Amino acid sequence: MDFALLRDAFWGLTFDGLALGAIYALISLGYTLVYGVLRLINFAHSEVFMIGTFSALVASGIMGVKIEDDPRTGWGMVFTLLICLIAAMLASGITAVLVEIIAYRRLRQRGATKLATLISAIGVSISLVELFRIITDSLPREFPRIMDKTFLFSYAGADIRNDKVIVIIAAGLMMFALERFITKSRYGKGIRAVSMDESTSTLMGVNINKVITVTFLAGGMMAGAAAFFYILVYENTSFKVGFFLGISAFTAAVLGGIGNLKGALFGGFVLGILETYTSAVFGTAWKAVISFLILVLVLLIKPTGLFGESIQQARV
Amino acid sequence: MADKKFRYNLRDHAADYWERSPKWRRVSLSISFIAFFYALPFLNNPLINTPGSDFQSVLFYPVGMYVLMAIGLNIVVGKSGLLDLGYVAFFAIGAYTMAILGTHTSLNFWEILPIGIALAMVSGVLLGTPTLRLRGDYLAIVTLGFGEIVRIVAVNIEAIGGPRGIAGIPTPPDLFKAKFTILDPKPYYWVLLTFTLLIIWMVRRMAARRPGRAWDAIRQDDDVAQLMGVNTLKYKVWAFVLGAAVAGAGGVLYASQILSIVPDQFNLNVSILILACVVFGGIGNLWGVILGAALLAFTPERIRFLSQPRILVFGIALVVMMNLRPDGILPKKKREHFDPNWKTVEESGEGEIK
Amino acid sequence: MTEKLLELKNVTMKFGGVTALNEVNLHVNKGEIAALIGPNGAGKTTVFNVVTGVYKPTSGEVNFNAQSLIGRKRYQVTKMGIARTFQNIRLFGESTALENVVTGADVHSKSGVVGAIFGTPRSRREEAAAVERGMELLEFMGLKHRAGQLGKNLPYGDQRRLEIARALATNPQLLLLDEPAAGFNPAEKVALAATIRKIRDAGYTVLLIEHDMSLIMDISDRVAVLDFGQKIADDVPKVVQNDPRVIEAYLGAPADAS
Ligand SMILES: Nc1ncnc2c1ncn2[C@@H]1O[C@H](COP(=O)(O)OP(=O)(O)OP(=O)(O)O)[C@@H](O)[C@H]1O
Ligand SMILES: [Mg+2]
Repeated sequence: MDFALLRDAFWGLTFDGLALGAIYALISLGYTLVYGVLRLINFAHSEVFMIGTFSALVASGIMGVKIEDDPRTGWGMVFTLLICLIAAMLASGITAVLVEIIAYRRLRQRGATKLATLISAIGVSISLVELFRIITDSLPREFPRIMDKTFLFSYAGADIRNDKVIVIIAAGLMMFALERFITKSRYGKGIRAVSMDESTSTLMGVNINKVITVTFLAGGMMAGAAAFFYILVYENTSFKVGFFLGISAFTAAVLGGIGNLKGALFGGFVLGILETYTSAVFGTAWKAVISFLILVLVLLIKPTGLFGESIQQARV
Repeated sequence: MADKKFRYNLRDHAADYWERSPKWRRVSLSISFIAFFYALPFLNNPLINTPGSDFQSVLFYPVGMYVLMAIGLNIVVGKSGLLDLGYVAFFAIGAYTMAILGTHTSLNFWEILPIGIALAMVSGVLLGTPTLRLRGDYLAIVTLGFGEIVRIVAVNIEAIGGPRGIAGIPTPPDLFKAKFTILDPKPYYWVLLTFTLLIIWMVRRMAARRPGRAWDAIRQDDDVAQLMGVNTLKYKVWAFVLGAAVAGAGGVLYASQILSIVPDQFNLNVSILILACVVFGGIGNLWGVILGAALLAFTPERIRFLSQPRILVFGIALVVMMNLRPDGILPKKKREHFDPNWKTVEESGEGEIK
Repeated sequence: MTEKLLELKNVTMKFGGVTALNEVNLHVNKGEIAALIGPNGAGKTTVFNVVTGVYKPTSGEVNFNAQSLIGRKRYQVTKMGIARTFQNIRLFGESTALENVVTGADVHSKSGVVGAIFGTPRSRREEAAAVERGMELLEFMGLKHRAGQLGKNLPYGDQRRLEIARALATNPQLLLLDEPAAGFNPAEKVALAATIRKIRDAGYTVLLIEHDMSLIMDISDRVAVLDFGQKIADDVPKVVQNDPRVIEAYLGAPADAS
């Protein structure tokens, strides 16, 4: 145990935690959105994220970026970064929509049990992981450095690195955009209506299928953005990446109160920071154990998460 | 309103035959059935032989072990409808108990067995009591986390071998004439089969009595079950703990046969695979689950040539299967009994109540 | 001298912005058939939910036999002697009619998992008693011939009756019926009225939610009226029937057959 490290590097760790938390928050939005509408954990969401990281990787290759190259500068850099971001968001968004069609739609229309639906989603998740394991030969892949990583300034001994600042700000913007979309747009309102009460929304003329597709698309795109930010900061990925981040992101969603967008945001940041602190104190090996204990503890004290579920109480 | 007609199929015929059989016939059928399974290792049939691996070993692991674990998990998932994605944790706890006590103390297999079962049950209570209050979806993620945690803890504690695990686990002492050695999997298989039969017997007893009704009620409608006076938390914890006990017993036996264990054997895939056995066979139907587990554990051994994309094929099969037969190959289906003497509704309120 | 079996004091239940119950005072006397009426959305079902522990009221007291019910687990409330049926039928569809009823009857058994595994004498005795009680109630509700059929395959009327049988199986002192005659034809309603009377005569107390006024007037000893979460009347049927406020809120509205 190393409490001295936590004390000495406190602000630096907090900053790193915020960047990690931003990524968690973006992924957890997908869990929360789908849960709100379908009352199901989208088990394949972690693979939606995984595919985002590989798409960003492929996009960078297409843009001609190579591992041995020097980082790009100026508008060329911005352009390359944007292309990678868009590629990841598109790929993840489309994957999420396909997941819904393949794993969920038919079962939902047949009124299958939750368990059957879950197994179907697990099947998709296993297949995607295995597909990428075979494609990548079980090896991790490195992401080239597109952007030079520099320290912008130091605060209380913490060096603030530019890529992490970008991640935090960009994630904030994404979430703001999503929030606007949910509250203002027609489909966003549909999502909220279905989350509240599916049968009444159907009666009121909401097209459930379309709403569900849009929900998966939105959640997938957020996961794609997270994938890009992840790969930008950590510069590598593998077929397993979804598994580890998925569990943490789901934990974040539950922590904040699943089905609640603000909760996902908050849970993401809290978990990101806590994980960074605990890795510093106990070593990275115990990080997962501690997140798990935090999750159980929160659920024990407040079963609906810190912010409470926005979903209505079940009616009898 | 039209009532459902009898649907005659092979399964109903079999069930009818069983129900109409006199006791002596049921007993002799059961005995020959059981005898067949005890004799299975001696069978040398090209249809079921596993060319790439030793058939007798395959019978013990994975086939027999998966059947046992699927029966255990079925109490949790099939009977009570609780999604446990970390079932492997209890298997690991049993295996580690055997490994640690077997290598550090003079206790033998038969003495360690109850300890392993008890430890698995205690961890079931510790994990279940707080988390089983939660709604089903949370339970899935918490159990998934737990399964991973047990493995991570094992990897990170050097005292129990860390990532290298534990080697030199003793075999059970001789029992009657049977010698337990690494070379001969048959005695292990027989012990496993005996466990399995015992557990089938217990599960069937419970299913027909109050616990079975409570689990049925919980699975179908937790809210209403509570309102009908079922202490749902208590019965959920029981389901969880019984499932843990079965996996714990399996783990102890497994470790004593395999002689050395490493944490990575107890990964999430095992939990998922056992769950797949349950769902694939027919959630909640004991015979379906047994069939599903036997098929899913045996087929990969039979088709070893498909080794690389095996899991991919498995994943796709799960999706296809769930889309086509969401209730599994041998779905749970209650047979109904009809009384031909119809009565009209106006006659309600007859008889007396206290 | 009447004895209050159930008593709600100043009960308020809010769901976010919706006040489903507003300072409601209500009681049920031992041995009577009390009725709770009111337009759709008045808060009737919410009263049942508050009493049976489905919701914890925002404020107020709920007492049963002078013991508070607030904060008790749902199964404890049932054990204390309150059982209910549901407005939208909620049987265990995959269980047989008999199993549905015996699940209710199990409340009073002491043996559980261990008893079942080892087949202890007590477990056997209690099993037999629960099944016997179940059959008795199926017969009472005219469902004996349905014993082996799955809940979901029963005709609609039988499902409603089975819900009553299942609730009775828990041996309640107070039986809460949420629109038990919904969807019944006149002949079925008459039969049901007779059954409810018989249940009362057997010593059970009944609180009934119903929309059918003639049924209410026919069988209830006392009628409470809810409107927008507030109690606007509470008296014998004759008086309630002529209360102008009730007529305005409820009887004046177009006849509601749901
Ligand atoms: N769980 C809940 N969440 C939010 N609002 C609720 C909930 N339960 C009930 N309500 C609201 O409380 C009010 C009363 O509902 P309740 O079901 O008690 O009415 P009711 O008198 O039983 O009506 P009906 O005759 O239609 O059955 C309604 O406006 C309803 O929408
Ligand atoms: Mg109602």
